Amino acid sequence: MKVNILQWHAVASWTWDAQDETCGICRMAFDGCCPACKLPGDDCPLIWGACNHAFHLHCILKWVNSQTSQAHCPMCRREWQFKG
Amino acid sequence: MADSISSVCNLAILDKLSDGSIEEILESYNGFCAATDTLLNGAGDLSVGPQFLSHVHGLCKHGLESLLRDHFLGALERTFEKNGALKFWRHFEAYDDVSVEEEVFYNALEEISLEKQYQEKCLLILVHALQSYNHGSHDSNDYRVELFAKYQMSVSSVLMATLPRHFPEILHWYFKGRLEELSTIMGGDFPHDDDEDDDDDDDDKDDMDLDDKCKVSYRSGQMEIDECYPQGRFLDNNKLVNNIGKVVRDLRSLGFTSMTEDAYASAIFLFLKAKVHDLAGDDYRISVLESIKGWIQAVPLQFLHALLAYLGDSVSYDSVSSGLKSPLASCPSTFYPGIDTPSEGLVRWQLRLEYFAYETLQDLRITKLFEIIVDYPDSSPAIEDLKQCLEYTGQHSKLVESFISALRYRLLTAGASTNDILHQYVSTIKALRTIDPAGVFLEAVGEPIRDYLRGRKDTIKCIVTMLTDGTGGNPNVSGNTGDSLLEELNRDEENQENAGLDDDFHTDDKQAWINASRWEPDPVEADPLKGSRNRRKVDILGMIVGIIGSKDQLVNEYRVMLAEKLLNKSDYDIDTEIRTLELLKIHFGESSMQKCEIMLNDLIDSKRTNGNIKATITQTSQAGSELGDNGVSMDVFDATIISSNFWPQIQDESLNVPGPVDQLLSDYAKRFNEIKTPRKLLWKKSLGTVKLELQFEDRAVQFVVAPVHAAIIMQFQDQTSWTSKNLAAAIGVPTDILNRRINFWISKGILAESLGADSEDHVFTLMEGMVDSGKNGGTNGSIEDLIVADEEGESSVASVEDQLRKEMTVYEKFILGMLTNFGSMALDRIHNTLKMFCIADPPYDKTLQQLQSFLTGLVSEEKLELRDGMYFLKK
Repeated sequence: MKVNILQWHAVASWTWDAQDETCGICRMAFDGCCPACKLPGDDCPLIWGACNHAFHLHCILKWVNSQTSQAHCPMCRREWQFKG
Repeated sequence: MADSISSVCNLAILDKLSDGSIEEILESYNGFCAATDTLLNGAGDLSVGPQFLSHVHGLCKHGLESLLRDHFLGALERTFEKNGALKFWRHFEAYDDVSVEEEVFYNALEEISLEKQYQEKCLLILVHALQSYNHGSHDSNDYRVELFAKYQMSVSSVLMATLPRHFPEILHWYFKGRLEELSTIMGGDFPHDDDEDDDDDDDDKDDMDLDDKCKVSYRSGQMEIDECYPQGRFLDNNKLVNNIGKVVRDLRSLGFTSMTEDAYASAIFLFLKAKVHDLAGDDYRISVLESIKGWIQAVPLQFLHALLAYLGDSVSYDSVSSGLKSPLASCPSTFYPGIDTPSEGLVRWQLRLEYFAYETLQDLRITKLFEIIVDYPDSSPAIEDLKQCLEYTGQHSKLVESFISALRYRLLTAGASTNDILHQYVSTIKALRTIDPAGVFLEAVGEPIRDYLRGRKDTIKCIVTMLTDGTGGNPNVSGNTGDSLLEELNRDEENQENAGLDDDFHTDDKQAWINASRWEPDPVEADPLKGSRNRRKVDILGMIVGIIGSKDQLVNEYRVMLAEKLLNKSDYDIDTEIRTLELLKIHFGESSMQKCEIMLNDLIDSKRTNGNIKATITQTSQAGSELGDNGVSMDVFDATIISSNFWPQIQDESLNVPGPVDQLLSDYAKRFNEIKTPRKLLWKKSLGTVKLELQFEDRAVQFVVAPVHAAIIMQFQDQTSWTSKNLAAAIGVPTDILNRRINFWISKGILAESLGADSEDHVFTLMEGMVDSGKNGGTNGSIEDLIVADEEGESSVASVEDQLRKEMTVYEKFILGMLTNFGSMALDRIHNTLKMFCIADPPYDKTLQQLQSFLTGLVSEEKLELRDGMYFLKK
């Protein structure tokens, strides 16, 4: 007997390859989305800082923009720079 | 006797009497008595008239007028009793039951009427005699009327006193017989068979102030006699009706007025009732109200019309011919006389008859309402009929009571499936919405159903299935119901749009005025506690959600069901799901459907990503084509990529997929990672669908199966016999699950199971030769196989209960800890303690029932013990 596979439809879940589970700013899961977004994934991406801390892009942008002087990473207080 | 009367009455006269005059009086009196006897028994011989006259004058001279009058009346009465009444009743003696022949009846009436006429003539002679003596000193007419009234009274009292018990029955029977005859003549287009039901209980509604009505109609009825008949049937009917009219008139003159009217009224009503039952029957697909009305017009009203007209003629002594002028002149086309120039009496009759018909039909329909609603869309004419009846009679409460008891007896029982109950509920809502747009009665009727459904576990599941399976995809659910609920969603959408207009603040005054003038008060039966009509707007979905209590549960169940469906899709075609979701969003609000939307979005994204990955992967890697004979090309591979946070918990079982496929998976994941950095894929290997073809030497069979089935069967390519332990190890699933899943192939006849050396270890062998190819779907049975595979593949999404269990396991440690400290605790206390202390993430938000079922689970796992309502740690 020989088995021919005509179609194989698999199921996978995606996840952000981050060390942490939740965003340090909004406390929402990375695999979810920030409070401002409705759809997770491409529409609400993560961003890493130079310090290797990850946040929802929208969250950290809000944070950075709200700081009057140079923004710091909310987690480690180092100067915030987007990881290149 | 005569002397004694005179001695009492005329004492004063007696004193003045001389012997001569006494002599004279006696002589006159004897003569008078003799003449009276001759006259009354003389069989039409009026020759004694002059002699009689002189005696009367002689007695009157002495002021004995009242004496002779009384004597004469007495003699009349006795003679009537002897000649009339006794003979009359003798006609009927032979008939113990009511079936007297028509002929006999006519003869008897004829005879007694003749007798009475003769006696009236005699009485007239007396009257003339007295008048000629008095020379008009009395008002002659008054005098005559008075005497005749007395005579009439004595006639009816004689008859009444000797009335046989079954005479009213005889009358009833007679009228019924005539009515049927008339109906047969008239009923060209109203065919009917005389299946009379012999219940006599119903002829009581008819004796209220009949006389008034009839009398009114005597006066007006004569104007329009016979104009109603179509030309052809005219003569026949006329004869029949004249006969009846004559009978009625004769009976009336004998003093049987009310008895007669009772008889024909009850006959008509019984007849009508039988007719309604006959017409309405058990067929709910046609409206019968109109034909009943038509029949009323055609038969009983014609009958009454003619009867009243005939009687009207006979009562007024004027010319009869005036009535006959119009049969052609007045509207020959119309069959219904009442409509043109109905007399008041006739109109009243019509109203009574129609009311009765409405009531009968309504009762009939109400007792069958359950059946009617069972085949609702088809039975809507019957519902429409019932609605009209109820509008007329206003007996809605009868409907509610009877229907509720029918529901309790027939629907809300353990034997009825939840689907059926829901189906019936929906039909009930729809049907009653027609009858009662305000939903007042619906509320009363729906309450028991809702209460009952709340007690059923699978209610939510059934509702969601009904909501989503519009296309009838699931053969277990009747497509009709699903369709209708989905339609409801649609309808609801339109309503919402309209409602949006209504809510608009800028609605102009004109519209407001129109709305205001359209306002109607609630029916009196409305329960004031249940809020106003606005809030009671009949809304099927609302009522269905009302069963569950909250929409969250419903949405959750829908999500589980949707996940199940999406995960089993091998194409990315989700158009129907999107449509359903959009409709649900309108109804339940966007935010509660958010997760479901993300799920659908995942599917759309997956399709795009899948295309992208496959397009780019073939350029970079040749993995698929390198694999040779056993290979699986990337072309046949697809993936659904989900955002697991937003999906219901998914039961992921470990599984070792076959090597080539595993290679594909990792290639795919790698490519995904490249495209979507820094996202990566986590395979849920046991999920998905596989379409495969088993190629035997002589044939090939196609199946659509779960990955685990594919993994199992692929192991048999190289080795045709496996023990369950080895096989389980090879594909990386626990043995018990393997044993369960492998049944699929055994049932298909592809594998065979036999006991191995070790009793725990089964041996599975490939049935290469295929002993019985026809056993369970051969080459051509692929459609059936598809379904079987679907059903067998166990739900890949955790059911709501399982999810609950998973969520509760967090608290297991808390509970065990508590019990270690406190020794034993009651359910309430555990619940409260958890509520008090587990406020952090995740907060304890379960109900007492949920906790209880979880604890019961722990007890069955022998972690806890339950004694006297207290939970202990199992030692």
